[in-house]
Amino acid sequence: MYKRSSVFIGVMVVLALLLAACGGSAAPAPSSSGGATAAPAAQAPAAGEKVTLKVLIHQNPPMVDFMNKFNEQFQAKYPNITVDMSVVNANDLSTVTQTRLTANDVDVIDMFGFSNAAQPYMKNVTAPNWQTLIDAGLLMDLSDQPFIKNYDASAIKDAGTYNGKVYQINLGRVSYSGVYYNKDLFEKNNVKVPTTWSELVAACETFKKANIACMTAGGKDGWPIFVGAYGLLGAVYPDQAKLVEGLWTGGTKWNDAKSLDMWKKMKAYAQDMMEAGASGIAGDAAPGRFASGAVAMFPGGTWYGAAIDSAQPSFKWGYIPFPGGDNADDNKYLFGKYDQGWVVAGKTANKDAAMKYLTEFSEPANYQAFANAVGFIPTQPGAKLSTAIGQEVAPYLANFRVGYEQYWVAPKGAGQYANPYASYYKPFGTYDDAQTVADKVQADLQSGLDANK
Amino acid sequence: MTNYHFGRGRARLAPYLLLLPGFLFYVIIMLGPSVATSVYSFTDASGIKGAAVHWVGLQNYREFLFMGQASLDNYAALVRTLIFCFCVTTIQFTLGLVLALLVNQRLRGVNIFRTIFFMPVILGAVIQGLIWSLFLYPLGGPLASLLGMFGIHSEFLGGQPAEAMAWVIVVQIWANLGTTMMIFIAGLQTIPGELYEVVRIDGANGWQTFKNVTWPLLTSSVNTNLLLNIIGSLQAWQLFLVLLGYRNGTQVLGYLIFAQGFGQTSGSVTSAFRQGYAASASIVLFFLVLIIGLPTQYLLRRREERILG
Repeated sequence: MYKRSSVFIGVMVVLALLLAACGGSAAPAPSSSGGATAAPAAQAPAAGEKVTLKVLIHQNPPMVDFMNKFNEQFQAKYPNITVDMSVVNANDLSTVTQTRLTANDVDVIDMFGFSNAAQPYMKNVTAPNWQTLIDAGLLMDLSDQPFIKNYDASAIKDAGTYNGKVYQINLGRVSYSGVYYNKDLFEKNNVKVPTTWSELVAACETFKKANIACMTAGGKDGWPIFVGAYGLLGAVYPDQAKLVEGLWTGGTKWNDAKSLDMWKKMKAYAQDMMEAGASGIAGDAAPGRFASGAVAMFPGGTWYGAAIDSAQPSFKWGYIPFPGGDNADDNKYLFGKYDQGWVVAGKTANKDAAMKYLTEFSEPANYQAFANAVGFIPTQPGAKLSTAIGQEVAPYLANFRVGYEQYWVAPKGAGQYANPYASYYKPFGTYDDAQTVADKVQADLQSGLDANK
Repeated sequence: MTNYHFGRGRARLAPYLLLLPGFLFYVIIMLGPSVATSVYSFTDASGIKGAAVHWVGLQNYREFLFMGQASLDNYAALVRTLIFCFCVTTIQFTLGLVLALLVNQRLRGVNIFRTIFFMPVILGAVIQGLIWSLFLYPLGGPLASLLGMFGIHSEFLGGQPAEAMAWVIVVQIWANLGTTMMIFIAGLQTIPGELYEVVRIDGANGWQTFKNVTWPLLTSSVNTNLLLNIIGSLQAWQLFLVLLGYRNGTQVLGYLIFAQGFGQTSGSVTSAFRQGYAASASIVLFFLVLIIGLPTQYLLRRREERILG
């Protein structure tokens, strides 16, 4: 009898231990001695109490460097706040944001400017991720915060406002439709900086004859291989909000005569201008490849300027809008987007620390230092982009426009080719003929539009 | 009258209580999420805590299977999954068997080769991807330099979809070959040495020995390897993510599910999460594994019974 009871008790003890081990971890105990029992998410630390502020940003080397310095400065000013900053790849930012917000494991997050919102003419589309997060109460309403006033009203409205409330302070615009060029190579080969498509073609031919690769890109990350082609798109369709509406409503076709001209140019861009092997270069490595002096041009975003300087400080480069059109006046636009912004977790227990962090960051001197380090086109009215890239883009700032990818939402049912990407062409894709690509892209789009009628 | 040593009364519950942890583990880790996925597949869930979830009936399935060109692209991904599965299974199985036969010899230093062949298995998908990305770097990587000597250029992983897929097949086989080999080695080591002595005395050559002794007695290992290879390759997605990312013409179903669920489909970093839709794709993949896996398992079991009795 004693043996049987022992077996039974033993089994129960093992079970209890297993269940205890499988149970969720206990909520972290407040470090104060108050022993409060309210839900941890709502439990704000007492004034002066030690706080760990969890910050999440995406990988952008100049930004990471700046943030490390800023965090030190912030911690020196607020000794009770420790900043715990995580850095993730840009492609993983939305996934990590969602996971950590859900787990209430983050306080301040770097989020790209709000974009891809459903428009009245779009049917049956899914809300963008940022909108779902707000609707779920996972982002904090910042409308009443004093630091909002430090930023351009237009940037706050376009990139951070939803249903009349401010959820993001956007920290800068970037252009991605420009081309970096190597001043020394242009000079040595007597090539004039191109302002039209035919000049660009001629420049590439000159460089190729001299055994110099014309263009490079960080194709391993996917999108950089076609980002330069947004300049081609911009030359044909300068109003890209209207372009997206036209594609949805049928007023614009990817295979009409106007678009076909763009596809022909994209073929030349992918096959004649881009250097062989560009598909293997990682996005972060592309500025270094360009700065090595082996390539004449580098289509890419303004955020690469600091990385090029960092890779080779003595390297001389310039930045121009991609000359995609045959008329120089059509090539004066820079297309881009609102890049990094700050949002705050809706259920953070560290609201006070988070607001101090954003207030400190938004101080004009600190923001100016950030803009200088990262190279964003500023969203604070008093800030100036005094860096090399700032001087390069200054003549075109009046012509800055939000680009196609910020407006575009694909209809459900549309095929995978329903986008204006140069990467469809060999050697990166399977296509070789402009008309075939144009017809395929339009057919893939039309299929989605028809499916939602 | 059943007689078991736990006795009578409450003590009779002991075997069931001992089974309970394993059963609970299965329900919580395996069955629960599977049932939840099938329920999710009828909703528009985004996977974001607190976001509204609506019951949409069969809409996700209709979209996945019948809506526009996207559904045809999904069928293409399904065909690609089957091709990937066939190539990986046949090549990995054959190579694994050959390597196991080679390193099962009583030769000096054979353990070093076993370790080398098995080593890729212990590396994670990210490290495996990094190694191959460097090896296949088209601007002066080792293979590019070698091909360059013959005037050949390739973009490898960034090239045309068929070529990129072929490289993922190579990496998948390289990454998992060690497991296949080890299962075969374990099987080979259970075959009594006396049997080989008998057939040698009878004058059997190498092929006859393999055909009449090794192969039949490896039946359990053959079955295990075939099933693991088939199911593993049907569900593969990590190497596609690490090596290729979301590229037209290269997606398999496993990766398509991840991309849809976590907003990686458009090349934009701001795409919506569509976890309800991804769940419906998961159920389609589940049935694909079931349709291929169950008959395979049935046939293999019959074969095992026929050979081993």
